[in-house]
Amino acid sequence: MSLVSGPGRAGLSTASLPTELRLSVAAHVKYIQALDNRKDELEYHLTTHLRLNGVYWGLTALHLLGHPDALDRSQVIDFVLQCQGENGGFGAAPGHDPHLLSTVSAVQVLVMCEGLGELEARGKNGGGALGVGRYLAGLQDRKTGTFRGDEWGEEDTRFLYAAMNALSLLGLLHLIDVEKAVAYIVSCANFDGGYGVSPGAESHAGQIFACLAALSIAGRLEVVDQGKLGRWLSERQVERGGLNGRPEKLEDVCYSWWVASSLKMIGKLHWIQGEKLTKFILECQDTEQGGFADRPGDMVDVFHTVFGLAGLSLLGYPGLEEVDAVYCMPRKVIEQVLGPREEIPIE
Amino acid sequence: MASHGVPRQATTEPRTEQSRLKEQKQIQEYTELVDLIERKIAERQYTREVLELTSKLLIKNPEYYTIWNVRRRLLIHGLFSKSSDLSSPSMELPSSSQIATTTTSPADSSSSTTNTSTASKETQSNLASPNPGKNGTTLDLIKADLDFVFPLMVKFPKCYWIWNYRLWLLEEGNKRLEPEVARELWNGELSLVGKMLTRDSRNFHGWGYRRKVISELESPKLHGKSMVESEFEYTTRMVKANLSNFSAWHYRSKLIPRLLSERSASDVQRRLFLDNEFELITNAIYTDAYPYAQSVWFYYQFLMTTLVDSIGHLTITPNFTDEDRIQYVRKQLVNLGDMLDGAEDCKWIYNALLEYTLALCRMENRPPLDAERQDCTSWLAELRKLDPLRAGRWDDFEKTLRWVEVDYRLASDVTGVEL
Ligand SMILES: [Zn+2]
Repeated sequence: MSLVSGPGRAGLSTASLPTELRLSVAAHVKYIQALDNRKDELEYHLTTHLRLNGVYWGLTALHLLGHPDALDRSQVIDFVLQCQGENGGFGAAPGHDPHLLSTVSAVQVLVMCEGLGELEARGKNGGGALGVGRYLAGLQDRKTGTFRGDEWGEEDTRFLYAAMNALSLLGLLHLIDVEKAVAYIVSCANFDGGYGVSPGAESHAGQIFACLAALSIAGRLEVVDQGKLGRWLSERQVERGGLNGRPEKLEDVCYSWWVASSLKMIGKLHWIQGEKLTKFILECQDTEQGGFADRPGDMVDVFHTVFGLAGLSLLGYPGLEEVDAVYCMPRKVIEQVLGPREEIPIE
Repeated sequence: MASHGVPRQATTEPRTEQSRLKEQKQIQEYTELVDLIERKIAERQYTREVLELTSKLLIKNPEYYTIWNVRRRLLIHGLFSKSSDLSSPSMELPSSSQIATTTTSPADSSSSTTNTSTASKETQSNLASPNPGKNGTTLDLIKADLDFVFPLMVKFPKCYWIWNYRLWLLEEGNKRLEPEVARELWNGELSLVGKMLTRDSRNFHGWGYRRKVISELESPKLHGKSMVESEFEYTTRMVKANLSNFSAWHYRSKLIPRLLSERSASDVQRRLFLDNEFELITNAIYTDAYPYAQSVWFYYQFLMTTLVDSIGHLTITPNFTDEDRIQYVRKQLVNLGDMLDGAEDCKWIYNALLEYTLALCRMENRPPLDAERQDCTSWLAELRKLDPLRAGRWDDFEKTLRWVEVDYRLASDVTGVEL
């Protein structure tokens, strides 16, 4: 899966677009299918370090578009398993060092492909889910509860979420100290209700999504100051309809996901204007060559494609598979693994 | 990675044969370089030559995290232990756990003497390489690497791996160098991060890095002492340069409790401090804040939480009585009312008026008076008009207002005020 941006570009301006904005499903499917055929572009090679994450983004997008079988299942599974290191963690591509972020992508892809059986048969570090689980659990700092991204020690609330995401999908949450993880998240809370990358850091929508989703997996959303956080999150919507990640920053399609899913998790998605956001996201698509960009007029890429689609799905765009706000995967798939999902009450 | 803010190309016409050939050549060079490094590492050639190769690759692609890790291993398992300053205080070898998770052979951890003996030979041969580094001490290796990383940081200020690698280098310095020497390196980082934040005053990597640098410079192991006063002054300078710098306001809010405690501030001094902060933010609001700039309003919210939130009480004036707090909230409601004059289109003022009027009722443990209820209703109408994007929030607020008549304590959720 290539992370190469382009070739398409998002719509130029609201004015030049048709009044009736539609999602170009076929173009997006084709765009994602073609991503791996771009080995003659330098950028394909410059983005190897995100290949496995890219498979997760592309496959999730295809599921949401209602084309879950658009990539060859056995090729995908073979590729994922080739990325596993001896310690059970997955690197971004074969031969790359294992990292927590590519490991969660591997688990998510295997779950979507119903490939956990292949992991049991062919996995490393003692094999199967447990081999992966042990790798992830080994990255938790047992004193503070947070997670390192890899052996070199960078800590970030994103890693904490990623680990809990993958471990819960594998049914192995008991391998870690969930209470400590929750306490760590609480220590990252700010007066504005948001969360940062570590204690003391400024609130940031991406980190808020990670912290809320982790708390949601732990069943501990009650520790969140939902009123204050909802207020902060709703102020991310700017005039044009898009969402930004922090006060007074530019809007960006990927925040359609980080902000909107966070609002969804605390039952306040109606605190922003869904139609305007939908329109903004649709303006960021390339209707002919497929894919979404961060903003209208910019280059498209698969990262913004999945988060644009996930945002649309969250907003109930007709015809899209329903996305799960916590896992950023099809809700159907999550329910197959974890059972029925709780409806988030809207007050 | 994902392209952020990359404008579309002028054309998406098919490439010319010439540009296609040029790109093929670039791809070939790039993949050959990757292959070469992989081969050398597989042969455990932890040499300067390979270090130079990784430099070449990282300049082409600083997101290639595995190559940053290769560089770390080159230094830990190779060059640091081979460097000529053998009297360096803690020339430790990697722990066995590190070895287990890397691809290094167990022989590397056997003893430092074997390492050194093979090392001296290689170090000599390396002198012949085009860029042998300075004199090969650990300090020089770290310095040379910091110099290598700096232009990459400037060029790619949002690349996580570069910031991490830089921190790792400095932490290796802590382990391997005398505290005074390591401290000098961190001092250099303080001025570096100052420059980075001048270039982009909202870069959260930069702010996180700054917090880390300060905590190192303050740490006992580097014979540090508190820098909270100078950091607080730094935030004053930053917000005065740009009132919309929420990152600086945020940092300021985090420094205050420590600042006051280290000043051993008396109750009177704390009250004065709070007054000064309100004055600062009120001036900022008058200068900059309406109708859209939200950074100052979030700092205003922070100051108010120290009065209306039970968890906020400890932040600035922990010994305020309930009466003191009520008096301050009343004063701010008057202040907010004054702000409306000439800024009738500023939604933030209405929002604050609503929020803190309800907070006041709660603090006084009473339902809103008729006049307050009428005010709230008209402020809410203004909010609906000025801020239709958040209509759903105002709907919920309105429900709350109705509930308030039944049970005013339910107001907390929608206004964002803690019970
Ligand atoms: Zn983005």
